[in-house]
Amino acid sequence: MAWDATDIALSIVKIAIVLFVMLNITPVMAWVERRGSALIQDRPGPNRVGPFGLLQAIADALKFILKEDIIPDRAHRMLYTLAPAFGLLPALTTIAVVPWGRGFRIPEMTIAGRKLFAGGRWFEPIVADVNVGILVIFALASLGVYGIVTAGWASNNKYSLFGGIRASAQMISYELSLTLAAVSVLLVAGSLKLTDVVWKQAGYFVLFDTVKIPAWNVFSPAMWLSFIVFVVSGFAETNRLPFDFAEAEAELVAGYHTEYSSMKFALFFMAEYMAMGTMSAVIATLFLGGWDIPWYHEPPTFLGFALSGLFMLLKCAFLMFVFVWVRWTIPRLKYDILMRLGWKVFLPMAIVNIVLVAAFIAGGWI
Amino acid sequence: MQFAIFFFFAAVAVIFALVVVLHRNPVVGALSLVASFFALAVMYVLLEAPFLAALQVIVYAGAIMVLFLFVIMLLNLQHHPETPTRPVQQFLGYTTSAGFGIALVYYLLKYAVFEKLPEGPFQSDVRAIGITLFERYIFPFEMVSILLLAAIVGALLLSARKGLPPKHPHEVAP
Repeated sequence: MAWDATDIALSIVKIAIVLFVMLNITPVMAWVERRGSALIQDRPGPNRVGPFGLLQAIADALKFILKEDIIPDRAHRMLYTLAPAFGLLPALTTIAVVPWGRGFRIPEMTIAGRKLFAGGRWFEPIVADVNVGILVIFALASLGVYGIVTAGWASNNKYSLFGGIRASAQMISYELSLTLAAVSVLLVAGSLKLTDVVWKQAGYFVLFDTVKIPAWNVFSPAMWLSFIVFVVSGFAETNRLPFDFAEAEAELVAGYHTEYSSMKFALFFMAEYMAMGTMSAVIATLFLGGWDIPWYHEPPTFLGFALSGLFMLLKCAFLMFVFVWVRWTIPRLKYDILMRLGWKVFLPMAIVNIVLVAAFIAGGWI
Repeated sequence: MQFAIFFFFAAVAVIFALVVVLHRNPVVGALSLVASFFALAVMYVLLEAPFLAALQVIVYAGAIMVLFLFVIMLLNLQHHPETPTRPVQQFLGYTTSAGFGIALVYYLLKYAVFEKLPEGPFQSDVRAIGITLFERYIFPFEMVSILLLAAIVGALLLSARKGLPPKHPHEVAP
């Protein structure tokens, strides 16, 4: 495939859009988390800085930048400094393989006497449409734990170390059920490409020959089980309550980032919210039809792209609110219950579901 | 461009592999091994085998090395220089690694210098690998799974050697 200047320019535009959204997840979600927790606990929450406290995030960011950056004396200096970057990189890059809108044809246009997009050009709103997309997500998601583990070890603090150890054990346990739950989606789509997964869900199930339900995987009779397994494992994978054992402030002070301050701490904070955003986008893509708008046929024009992109964003926003909602509703589990749940409940459930989906496919029902 | 990428990541892989062997700190070693695996995955991408690249990162960098780190941290390894006490094992270790190194050099030379590799493109998509694995190589595949089963049974046997299950089986984990 030969790339010309237009392709490169379009790629840069896509990367810019994705980066803009990802970097803005943290301040927006920090606000949603604080106001949302206040809503759930029946108190006003931060409402002084700007309208509805919306500028609180900027005040927080300013505070992080101005704080003193402390490296403990007995810490492993190099790994202590690198750990936040280890955590942030996978969270920031995973989104590259997730499609975020209906592709459309850019018409040929003349701007300032120069002909652009000669003969029209197809714009696929995904940074890297690789044919092993879903595996890339798991590969990068599994690297996210290194930030936590490295931070826990390099801090040279017992609580931090416990946080790191717990995170690694938890990650190994829940990654299995996460991956196995996604296998059923791949069986149905017959492809590892996420654009194919979305297209597969763009149709309808017709109930009693009259009611049209969008063919999203979550509505499929064989898939709701894997949806549950995937979402719960996704909570564990992103270290969110009720599975935030790496942090567990009631037991471990602040877990793996006890010793961190200033922007290094802020990077962990950003990584957590970005991982949450990525996980929401992945859940939306695999089970909620991606950018598909129910009962609407998106035209391959800019309008279709914009509407579908907006819908993808709405789905992600809803899922991220669910993350916040769950955090302030369900208390933290005990560690042994977490491990038992992963190995003895979710893993068998995911395996049973694969067999179920395979049977459905063999029977020709889906 | 491809050559530049190849040489950069080849250098990364070799340098981090050397760090694994030479660095005294086991955690730094484990993390370097992850970096080395990652550079190796880039090699697979360059060979137009993205599936293998993804598996390399998921299985080795993502799962096995996390387990390694977990064990290293759990045991909290200190680097005391120990005096060698087992000459036979030491001898076996040196000879096997020397033999493995010689075999590696031999086969690399054989295919890179003396014989031409078969011309690409190689079949490396998921379907091709799946079909090969479950048709042609089904016997070795099942043997490996039996080996893993034996390992699991062995681990269970070792942990329950006292004959009695521990009183509070769930309080072992940190």
